[in-house]
Order: sequence, then C-alpha cells, then structure tokens
Amino acid sequence: MDSFWSVLFSTDFAFSVLRVTTPILFAALGALISNKAGIVNIGMEGTMLVGALTGVIVSAYTGSAWIGLLGAVMSGITLSAILAYFTLKIKTHIILGGIAINMFASGGTVFILYLVSGDKGTSTSLQSKVLPNLHIPLLQDIPLIGPILSGHNVLTYVSLLAVAGVYYMLKRTPLGLQIRSVGENPQAAQSVGISVGKIQFIALLLSGFFAALGGAFMSMGYLSLFSRDMTAGRGWIAIAAEALGGGSTIGTFLASLIFGATNAMANALQILKIPSELIATFPYVATVVGLLVYAIVESKRKKRKKGI
Amino acid sequence: MKRSVLAFVLVAVMLISACSGGGKNTGPVNETPGNSGSKSEKLKVVLLIQGTLGDKSFFDAANSGLEQVASSLQAETKVIEMGLDSTKWEPTFNTVAGQDWDVIIAGGSQITELLNATAEKHPDKKFINYDTDIPEVAPNVYAISYAVNEVSFLAGATAALTSVSDLPNANPDKKIGFLGGMDIPAINAFLIGYIEGAQYAVPDIKVAVSYAGNFNDPGKGKELSLLQYNSGVDVIFNVAGGTGLGVFDAAKEKKRYAIGVDSDQGTMIEGTDKDKANLIITSAVKKIDQAIVHSVRGIKEGTLELGKLDVVGLKQDGVGIARNDIFNSVVSENIKARLVEIEKKLIDGEIKVSNAMGMQTSEVDKIRNSVKP
Repeated sequence: MDSFWSVLFSTDFAFSVLRVTTPILFAALGALISNKAGIVNIGMEGTMLVGALTGVIVSAYTGSAWIGLLGAVMSGITLSAILAYFTLKIKTHIILGGIAINMFASGGTVFILYLVSGDKGTSTSLQSKVLPNLHIPLLQDIPLIGPILSGHNVLTYVSLLAVAGVYYMLKRTPLGLQIRSVGENPQAAQSVGISVGKIQFIALLLSGFFAALGGAFMSMGYLSLFSRDMTAGRGWIAIAAEALGGGSTIGTFLASLIFGATNAMANALQILKIPSELIATFPYVATVVGLLVYAIVESKRKKRKKGI
Repeated sequence: MKRSVLAFVLVAVMLISACSGGGKNTGPVNETPGNSGSKSEKLKVVLLIQGTLGDKSFFDAANSGLEQVASSLQAETKVIEMGLDSTKWEPTFNTVAGQDWDVIIAGGSQITELLNATAEKHPDKKFINYDTDIPEVAPNVYAISYAVNEVSFLAGATAALTSVSDLPNANPDKKIGFLGGMDIPAINAFLIGYIEGAQYAVPDIKVAVSYAGNFNDPGKGKELSLLQYNSGVDVIFNVAGGTGLGVFDAAKEKKRYAIGVDSDQGTMIEGTDKDKANLIITSAVKKIDQAIVHSVRGIKEGTLELGKLDVVGLKQDGVGIARNDIFNSVVSENIKARLVEIEKKLIDGEIKVSNAMGMQTSEVDKIRNSVKP
C-alpha cells in the first residue's frame, strides 16, 4: 500500500494529470460554449481529429509548428462553420450533423493522410514539428510546485489560461451575455434584438476553435505524430466532462481535471500489482460516482428550495 | 420543386456510390486476363486483403511477398483490396474462387473461417492463409502461424542485455518494460517469450508490464511508457499497434531505448526522425513476405503439404529480429555475439520457449507477477 500512495503523491503523477487533462479540457471548453448557446455540438471528437491532422500536415510543409497550430485552428473553425451552415442555415438536426462530422473525420483524415504521405496508419513519414515545452523561470525553482507546474507544453498553459478567458467571456462580455441568453431563451433574446442565428454561429466556431486546439495538442505537443483515430474518445469524454461540470466554466474545469486525474491514475497504477482490468475501470467508476454526488447535491438543493 | 431536386440528388448519389462500390470490388476481378482458353504454364496467384494497402505493416508485407512471387516465380499475380466492410468479403471470396486462379492467398484471424469455408467449396483450388492461429484447416489450405514467442525471446534477451550494458542510454537498474495492446493470448504470446528471453540472458531481470486496453491511442501509449521509463525501465518492447507509436515518443523524450514489432519500425521512422529511430534498437519482425514466397514456391514445385497449420519460427526464417543499421551501430559487439549464440540455440531446439497460446490465464499471471519490479 505504501507504493500505492507513493505513486499518487509523486510530482511525476501530478505533472501527468495536467498533461492528460489538456486535450479533454480544451474540448470541454468548446462543448461548454456551444451548449451555453443552446446547441449540443457532439462533433468534438471529429473536430479534434481534423485539427490534429491539419496541424501535422501544415507544420510538415511550412516547417513551423506555430503555422501548423494556426492551420489546425483554422481547420477546426472551418469544420464548425460547415456544421453551423448545415444546422443553422438549412436546419439539419444538430445531432446528425455532429455524427456526420465524426464519421467524416474518422475516414477523411485517413484519406487525406494517404494523399499527403502515402500512408494510411500514421504520419511518421512526414517531418512534422512539435510545439515547445515551457520552463517558467522562478516557478521551476520552487520545490514541489515547480516540477509540477513548470516544463509543460505551451498548449497546456494555454488551456489553463483559456479557462480564465472563457469564464470572463461568458460572465463579463456582451458576447457572453448574448450567448447565455440565446441558450436560455432564444425567443426572449430575439425580442430584444439579438440575432440568435449569428450568436449560435459564433458559439459553434468557438467550440471548433477549442476542439482543434485539443487536437493540435494531441499531435504536436503530447505526441509528435498523427495516427488514425488517435483522439481515442477524448472528444466524448470532454462532452461528458462538460455535462458533469453542470454547465459552468469552473465546473467544467474541475470535471476535466477529475477525468484527467482518474485516467492518469489508471495509467500509474498499472505499475503496481493490481489487475489491469480493475484499474481500467477507474475513470468510469469515477464518472458514475461524480454523477451520483452531483445528483444527490442537486436534489437536496431543490428540496431545500421547496421547503422554504 | 426543392424536394424533387433533393430526391434527384439523393438517387444520383446512391447510384454513384453503388457503382463505385461495385467497381472497387468486382472491377479488378473482371479485368483478369486469360481464361480457360489460354492454357499458359504461368501460375496464377491472387492475394485478397481485408483492408487496404499502405498500412506499412501486415498487408504491405503480404503484398511485397506477392511481388516477389511475381518476379522470382514468374507467376501472374493480382491484389484485391476488399476494404474494411466485412460483409463484402464473402462475395469477393466466392467470385475469386470461381475464377481460374491457381492459388488464393489471404491472412489474418478474422478471415480464417471464411477462407476455410470457401476452400471446402472449391476443392480444386489451393489456398494459403499467411497468418492464423486456428489449427482447423481445410484439406486444400496451407496455413501459417508465426512463432512470435521465439522472436520475442530474442527481443527479451536484447532488452535485458541492453539494460545491463553500459550503452549511453541504459541505466544501472535491471529493469525492462513491455507495453501490450490488450491482455489477450495473442499479445501474451509475445510477452511470455519476452520474459523468458530476458531471464535467460539476465536471470534477475525485472519486467514492468502495462496494457493500454486498445490499439489506437498513442497518447495513452506514451503516458504508460513515460511511467515505465520514470520507474527505472530503460528498454520497452511495444506490441500495441498504433498505441505503440507513443512508446517511441516517450523513448525520445526520456532518452531511453525501445523495441519495435511486426515490421522494422526503426527503419520506418529513420527517414524523418533520426534521433528517435536511433533509440529503436531492433524490431521483432514477422517475415510474412518470405512465408508467402516460400509457400507459393512449394505449391509450384508440388512439395508443399496442404491441409495443415505450420508454425514458422527462427529455424524456418519466418520470424527474426531486425538487424538494421541502427542495431548494428548502437548495440555493442558482445551483445550481438550473445544474441547470435542464443538464436543458434533456439534454432537447434536447445532452448524451448513457452507459448502463451493455450496457456491458462493463471499461468500467465504467475509468470507476469514473478518478474514484476
């Protein structure tokens, strides 16, 4: 049991939690913004995948990781614009649109990868670039906290800043107010002169932007390559994290961290003599427990309200 | 008006997709030149693959075998890519078996049953199953299984010897690692061979074992590898498909060694990332191409005995570790000499390697736990 705690209370483990959380957090923030505007974007997984591939290809051809990142972001926004056109303009069902995006991404990325590199599995024949890791001066010298917080990929820091950014945007800016009002009551929003379609369009573009950042992190930060279906369900976990977070920015952040931590824990505990099948269930058990706690708290709160 | 346009477009799309689907599957088959009229002496060999070419591994290796068959045996050959849709495999098998091919080649556990069933319906044709573990074989099928436990034994010996050596990226800890895709017999066949090989070379070696639970998540592969490297492991053998690619990223980050699987993964990466490739000291390779050439030659010369499952190991040159430029430049001379010696003993049957196929789960557990660090 000693080794159990020594695994969980090591700086390496805390460091890996942030790393595992990053892609989930990006996509969860994207899901949050579109949900706030009243549209459920389930195309996160596909958008991440397209972002991951575009980042690799663009960086390989331009020789710059930053231009690659820009390309990834642009591809995510473009894909979301297509989704927005179909769902907002010609009124396709949003869920069907999201499914289409995911299926297109799974097959389409392999097709494009084949056109570009001649391979159908991985991008190892492309000389793609990787975004740098940042060692923060001063911070990295602090014992305990330094090794946990310093030395991450630049996108990990961006994801943490994005939490603050999204929080501020939703709470304090006119756009955030419009997004929230459109999501809560589109008729009321329209009656005060807000263009519902336009706001939802912007919200979808933003969700594509964040999903693509998550994808770019996968292929240009976390790893240095693209491989088919490499997001492996992280887009879906992100949607779950947003739901678990109860639709608030802080909640989404915490839920993403919980998912990240349980995943990192499932990885870390494999080293110990615990059956790997049992460990693999951790993230899912944590989800169920999380939802249970949330439901209990919520129903108690409602009861109390009624009581008063 | 709008509706009729939409309906028209839909019908057009369906028609086009129906045509293209058909074209892809039957088109190439219909093109096959020569029929019963032209009785040429050329052996006609067709390869069916349940996927597409370009995977840099399994199917490409089979295709390269077929190309060698075409050039060295002057056979007439054709590859048919059946795609991933399993409902299209059976019709394609039936169509191809009904044509005038002499030898029909396919491989993989997923199509073994279909291949045997087709073979039974067409007793005049000869079939080759180039990779299966299922011992039931139709009388006109020649099935091949690879002794991955033997090549993993060599990979384990390489890892263990590297771990205790004074190579620049090895550490003093006597620990090596294994990353499997799933905890299943096909993967554990590699693992058990790897453990036995490592223990043969360095008796008190420890082996850290992780399973990713999937074959397409390199992120998880990297995460698990980083943990192993951080715990003092200095060589990891990956048997995890796409997930295993994460091992190489982790190896580069931590400056430790890795071992590839199935195809020569070091050479594959060498072109784009030399630093990373130089850490992949070797790969445990299935020589699918050689197996195909060998068995087609056997059919041509009438020496091949059909209706059985042959296990090809180091002795038959069906498997081997990649002795590429990286291996030659990175691995020290005395390790190379030890490996040659061990390989010779394996070939002569002096060393017997256990096989996890057909082993009880509890036995695998026991072996795994006995070497856990």
